[in-house]
Amino acid sequence: MPWPTTRRVIGTKVQRLDGPDKATGRARYSFDINLPGMLHARILRCPHAHARIKNIDSGAAEKTNGFRALHIIANAGVQLFFAGAEIVAVAADTEEHADDCLHAIRIDYEVLPHFVKEADALRAPDGPSTVPGGTPNVRPGGDFSTAKFDDVAYEGTAPRVEGTYGVAIISHQCLESHGLVAQWDNDLANLTVYASTQAVPLTAQALAQNFKLPVTRVKCITNYMGGGFGSKFGPDIQGIVAAELARKARAPVKLMLDRAEEVAVGGQRPSAAGTVRIAGTKEGDIRAYEVDCYGSPGVGGGATVNLGFLPYVYSVPNIKRRHRFVRLNLQTGRAMRAPGHPQNCLLTDQAVDDLAASLGLNPIILRTRNLPQNDQNAVQNDPTSFPALRHTIYTRQLEIIRKLCSWDDRWHPPGRGDGVIKTGLGMALHTWGGGGGPPNPTRVTVSSDGSVLVQSSTQDLGTACRTVPAIITADILGLRPQDITVQIGDSTFGPSTPSGGSTTCPGISPAILKAAEAARDALFAAIAPGLNAQAADLSIDTGHVINRANNNARIPWRNACGRLGMNTAIGNGDWPTNAQFQQNPDLRREWRGRLTNNGVGGVQVAEVKVDTETGVVRCTRFWAVQDCGLIINKLACESQVAGGVIMGVNYALFEECIYDRVTGRMLNPDMEFYKLGGIRDMPDIMVHMMDMPERGVIGIGEPPTISTAAAVGNAVFNAIGVRVPQAPFTPERVLAALANGRKRN
Amino acid sequence: MKNFTYFRPTTAEQAVALLENRWGNTELLAGGTDLHDLQKEYVAQPSRVVSVTGIGALAGIRVDEKQATIGAGTKLAAIAEHADLRRHFPSLCEAASDIGGPQIRNMGTLGGNLCQRNRCWYFRDEHTPCLLKGGQRCYALDGENKYHAIFTQGRQCVIVNPSTLAPALIALGAGVNILGPKGRRSTDLAKFFFSPANANDREHTLAANEMVLEVTIPVRNWANASYEVRQKLSYDWPLVQAAVAFQGGRNGAKATGVRIVLGHVAPTPHIAEAAMKALEGRDITDANATAAGRAAAEGAKPLSQNAYKIRLVEVAVKRALLMAAGMKRYWEM
Repeated sequence: MPWPTTRRVIGTKVQRLDGPDKATGRARYSFDINLPGMLHARILRCPHAHARIKNIDSGAAEKTNGFRALHIIANAGVQLFFAGAEIVAVAADTEEHADDCLHAIRIDYEVLPHFVKEADALRAPDGPSTVPGGTPNVRPGGDFSTAKFDDVAYEGTAPRVEGTYGVAIISHQCLESHGLVAQWDNDLANLTVYASTQAVPLTAQALAQNFKLPVTRVKCITNYMGGGFGSKFGPDIQGIVAAELARKARAPVKLMLDRAEEVAVGGQRPSAAGTVRIAGTKEGDIRAYEVDCYGSPGVGGGATVNLGFLPYVYSVPNIKRRHRFVRLNLQTGRAMRAPGHPQNCLLTDQAVDDLAASLGLNPIILRTRNLPQNDQNAVQNDPTSFPALRHTIYTRQLEIIRKLCSWDDRWHPPGRGDGVIKTGLGMALHTWGGGGGPPNPTRVTVSSDGSVLVQSSTQDLGTACRTVPAIITADILGLRPQDITVQIGDSTFGPSTPSGGSTTCPGISPAILKAAEAARDALFAAIAPGLNAQAADLSIDTGHVINRANNNARIPWRNACGRLGMNTAIGNGDWPTNAQFQQNPDLRREWRGRLTNNGVGGVQVAEVKVDTETGVVRCTRFWAVQDCGLIINKLACESQVAGGVIMGVNYALFEECIYDRVTGRMLNPDMEFYKLGGIRDMPDIMVHMMDMPERGVIGIGEPPTISTAAAVGNAVFNAIGVRVPQAPFTPERVLAALANGRKRN
Repeated sequence: MKNFTYFRPTTAEQAVALLENRWGNTELLAGGTDLHDLQKEYVAQPSRVVSVTGIGALAGIRVDEKQATIGAGTKLAAIAEHADLRRHFPSLCEAASDIGGPQIRNMGTLGGNLCQRNRCWYFRDEHTPCLLKGGQRCYALDGENKYHAIFTQGRQCVIVNPSTLAPALIALGAGVNILGPKGRRSTDLAKFFFSPANANDREHTLAANEMVLEVTIPVRNWANASYEVRQKLSYDWPLVQAAVAFQGGRNGAKATGVRIVLGHVAPTPHIAEAAMKALEGRDITDANATAAGRAAAEGAKPLSQNAYKIRLVEVAVKRALLMAAGMKRYWEM
């Protein structure tokens, strides 16, 4: 059965159930868990960007006040590849004593050469290697060319435009840092952790594996979670270490990273930079896109640097791509809110505006002409999928945003305008997947007092996912969301998919629907005989069960449930397995074409004001048009889009990890010089959600942050008439671009 | 954090008696927004901490016809909100209201703002042995220095003084009253700051066993203003600050007694003598303010990444002068 066609609660604006708890501080995050007798653990980290441990002397630590347990993570002889790499962990009675213990440990290092800046590594292609295995720092990331690019790409085009675009390495900066509280039972047979994680069951599994325990003996709880953005998919080293120390000390241990650790090792997004050549006909058909690009995954292999879908979104017939990974002595890059997409968007959409300027075209016209066509094969076989609809969706979105932001009145040719403060308007497009999948078993229990409980092991990262089960169940049972009790974030409720790739809402929603329907049907089956009816005679209206067999008698919900007596009505729901999907195409069409879907598009417009005397940029207004299929909670959807825009404005204007070439250390692992805008630095954000219920539920977590920075970059270009190549667009970079512009003229 | 003995005297004399004649082992604590950070990072490791929060007489604002007196223990928020101060010294109150966020302003004090340590990221990193921590070199000189000094002549350490109250107060001709073991002394705030070069130096000229009691500002109906070039509106240090004060300058009157002081461009608040001379006895016009800005930037020797601050000095001085003269703020967005 698909989604109800008449939706009482689904798609309305529902305040999140835990809003008051979060706003008042009643909500207890993993960081807030304090258990009786709990110890505090801290980790001694390598201060050098590349070093070998010669000797560890921890004797004095064990004699320090408050010391309880010590765990060596990396032994003498081990080579460490970034500042912040873990060496020794200590548990003590207070956090301060744990710090004192760390300071009593003496470690001798052999300091080795390092690279922490992309330009330095690129200048030394023949080494020395400063990364594991002695492999080259700079590695090919996959080159690509359409046929005969050099012969045909620029045939009949207007002069090509060349530009350089880049974006710095940035930090996830989760407000709640990484870590967990670990508690063993007395005979060390059962482990419970309170973790800040995007993957509750996965974290329990990883710990079970590490400690060679049956997975049934490890429980992971995540009641509330203060942000992950792609950086929290397991216990990490600090989680395993906390459990080790708790086992050794036979006491609960809390190990949450401090702010400097959170920034230095809690995740970072790969940088990207590229030189782009783009060309089109004078009418505005883009014919060629050529790019030489690289990004740094830190010390990791490069999977997180995905520039492989350049050019982004637009349909371009001739493409040539040279792509490199620049490995540096920094923590391994982690997935971050739409991995790869913001970088691809910056390297495409800014070049598109430079082309529009060169052709003398309005960028909205250029974009309209170069949208990807609807895929005719998909139109036939998968008509609600994004490929079948992408041209239709983008075209509608461009029309909507054009009116919403008064583009035709506000937009002006680049650099036009008098005065010191210049205003500009810029646009960018994005796309994302956001399809859910199995397993997400969900249980709905109706009790005889009318109360309703929904249970799933899924986690709420701060997105309002906790409210989703209440909305869907309330809709099916004719109740209000606040009538539903939701229990999530507990690995003993069974498996669930990790919250990555914007898959949580589409992952859990259809399973909740099935469970709620099953619970309703179980209730009907249980009470129908007592009502002299068949189960099929019963139906739901707001707050009531209707009995068709008795003149459509309206039985108040609680009275109806009261007929359960000692029993409960339980409904279980979950996705079909992947094997079932393969056997049954209809099943796939229902679950992945009507109940849920994969693939969205979005268009965003930024307005900025640039102080041309100081180079200071303020983003003043912002418009976002987003599709996400069937909307479950319109308020939360709009909030997600606003949050994505805020994140994007931040990395467009402020955020940048800064490393010292000599020491190899990060200089701003903080919230002082790692700049994050406050509310006064944020634009007025107008969100327009396109409701396409026929497509089913699609995730919305990642898409709305993808095109924000490119839209801001284009707005700055529109304001001052020169391109600021590197994000964040800081005052010194804007002033330098303005000075270069004056030189050229 | 290294463990320490905590003292909470109730008079300034008792506090001074608890101090030592060398830096490092004993530290004064007021709002704690700076010292506790440094302790947690193991950059400051005092074994004795003397809190001044028990000294009631240290906080308070008095304004009469001749001068304003602000106690060293006065909270930044109280300075920002004080009606009489705001009437006479908008430069000071605006600078105070832009410091940090509400939490910082509700804890931070005037004395702490003047005596705080610098924000250089090499100095504040426990693992980087810079000059001010007894090391052999300044890492900022050829390192990451976009927020560092541009008036660097003869300086081994290229920090900027972080106080934004100091430039405003110096432009207003403020003095500072200090208590030491031998009693009280007074000095111009302009002579209070110091360019440190090693672990035994601080950013000011206080002896280790002295403390700031209060700051005095002459009330003389001078025009004054402070302008900060800020990347962010919320919670950020200025990139460059200019504070100005002068007599006249409005309604066609010439500006005299011109004082122009820059913040965040040198290890101490930087008195822009050439700019003061350039403007002395002139009208505050756009052209004259622009010329004063240029003069203020003269002599700057920027580092590898901060030449952009020269332009910001020119602009900040011009804007502060136009603000003080009550002219149109053409830069408002």
